[in-house]
Amino acid sequence: MAKSNDGVRILQGLLVLGNVVIGMCGIALTAECIFFVSDPHGLYPLLEATENDDIYAAAWIGIFVGFALFALSILGIVGVIKSSRTLLLVYIILMLITYAFEMASCITAATHQDFLTPNLFLKQMLERYQKSETENNNDKWMTEGVTKTWNKLMLQNQCCGVRGPSDWQEYTSAFRATHNDADFPWPRNCCVMDAQGSPVNLDGCKLGVPGYYNSNGCYDAISGPMNTHAWGVAWFGFAILCWTFCVLLGTMFYWSRIEY
Amino acid sequence: MLPLLLLLLATAHGLEETRSVPILASSSLGGLTTASTFVLEQPRCVFTNVQEDTVIWLVVATVEGTHTFNNSVAPGTPERAFQRFPTTASAYMTLNTTLLNYPCTTAPGAITVLRVGSETSCAKNPMRPTCNGPLPGPGPYQVKFLALADSKPVSETGWSEPITLRTAQPPGSIPTMGSGRSAGMIALTSILSILFAILLAGLVAMLVFGGLDACGGSSTLSKAEAVTVRRYNTHHVYDQPAARL
Repeated sequence: MAKSNDGVRILQGLLVLGNVVIGMCGIALTAECIFFVSDPHGLYPLLEATENDDIYAAAWIGIFVGFALFALSILGIVGVIKSSRTLLLVYIILMLITYAFEMASCITAATHQDFLTPNLFLKQMLERYQKSETENNNDKWMTEGVTKTWNKLMLQNQCCGVRGPSDWQEYTSAFRATHNDADFPWPRNCCVMDAQGSPVNLDGCKLGVPGYYNSNGCYDAISGPMNTHAWGVAWFGFAILCWTFCVLLGTMFYWSRIEY
Repeated sequence: MLPLLLLLLATAHGLEETRSVPILASSSLGGLTTASTFVLEQPRCVFTNVQEDTVIWLVVATVEGTHTFNNSVAPGTPERAFQRFPTTASAYMTLNTTLLNYPCTTAPGAITVLRVGSETSCAKNPMRPTCNGPLPGPGPYQVKFLALADSKPVSETGWSEPITLRTAQPPGSIPTMGSGRSAGMIALTSILSILFAILLAGLVAMLVFGGLDACGGSSTLSKAEAVTVRRYNTHHVYDQPAARL
């Protein structure tokens, strides 16, 4: 009996420890997802214009799942210490529901990350940047978002286009429809700007003299934050779920051994 | 026979043909050729035997136009007007400047180029036939420099190699279908699904089997405070019926 008591104590201790870790990870997940949803790099309009912003949906789910994990971990600790069958049954069922939601969030984030390719952003940039005739309000909203985001991207990261300024030469675009090729081989924001926001040397920029225009592409500046976002939601969530799996199995075993 | 005759005619008019041809500028320039412009090296140290007040013109022609080009047609005439190129005029002349602007000595690191097609303001203005307007199509075009003194040709370079400008594709031709599922995503999905299935199976097993009281009870966990041991005092039980009797 003593040995079994020790076993009980060890199992209880392990379950409490497991729940403490789940609670902390839940808080961390909430904080991380709030950070992603706040869009510190200002890239959300690009995703919105692809009409597929699953990564943000995954982050929103992550915020609520994190809170739920924290609350349920407290319930779990109380239930394990009290050895209460009811509390633990409630805990297990609610945890399974939370598990399902978090699973959905991870899979969504991982799937959507594969969708974000350079060609996707290139096509969107060519079709929407500085598009002058918009069909409806939604189109106008998305076009303005894309234009503002690209202008900010090109200024802040000193880059041009997705792969480089040659994107504007290799393909026709909405920009090309309103800005002729001789005056604007690429948008003005591709030029190196001085402190007042005007090009240092406009002719040098139009000629493409290295040093007067931005010759590298912006894809790294876009994909870096988005990949971090997707990985943060998908794989941190996966790690939490693996740990939760173990704790839940232990709790189920503990529950089945509690006397009425 | 014919080339010899042309050469004789040229020298008879005093036209010197230099040995150089116009070339495109250095390829480190990002805008070397665009859809309607291209960049040439300036003809420095090319016209060495002419006087300083000679005017150097740039001639831009279609490939067919180079065969029928006549040096004596003056620039600014309808036959050489930019606005009529390439429909009724097979060549046009532009970017005129005196030889003083092409000195032989260049400052080190200076970029000496000519951008053909940079003037957009006069492109549709027929009053400016020598406009350096954007080229109407991808070409190919051939160019040469012609030196005129008192409106008479005195020197020229050879025709350049054919220059073809860029043609832009429509953005609809960009393939955006996903590259398929990555290995990481497949691993994540399958592992999570298996774990969830195990958990559900565990829940069912727990409810079905764990709900039944274990008969052996050797490993049941008892709540310490709920178990009370009832002590049976057998002597009192036997004594009572005997006392009644």
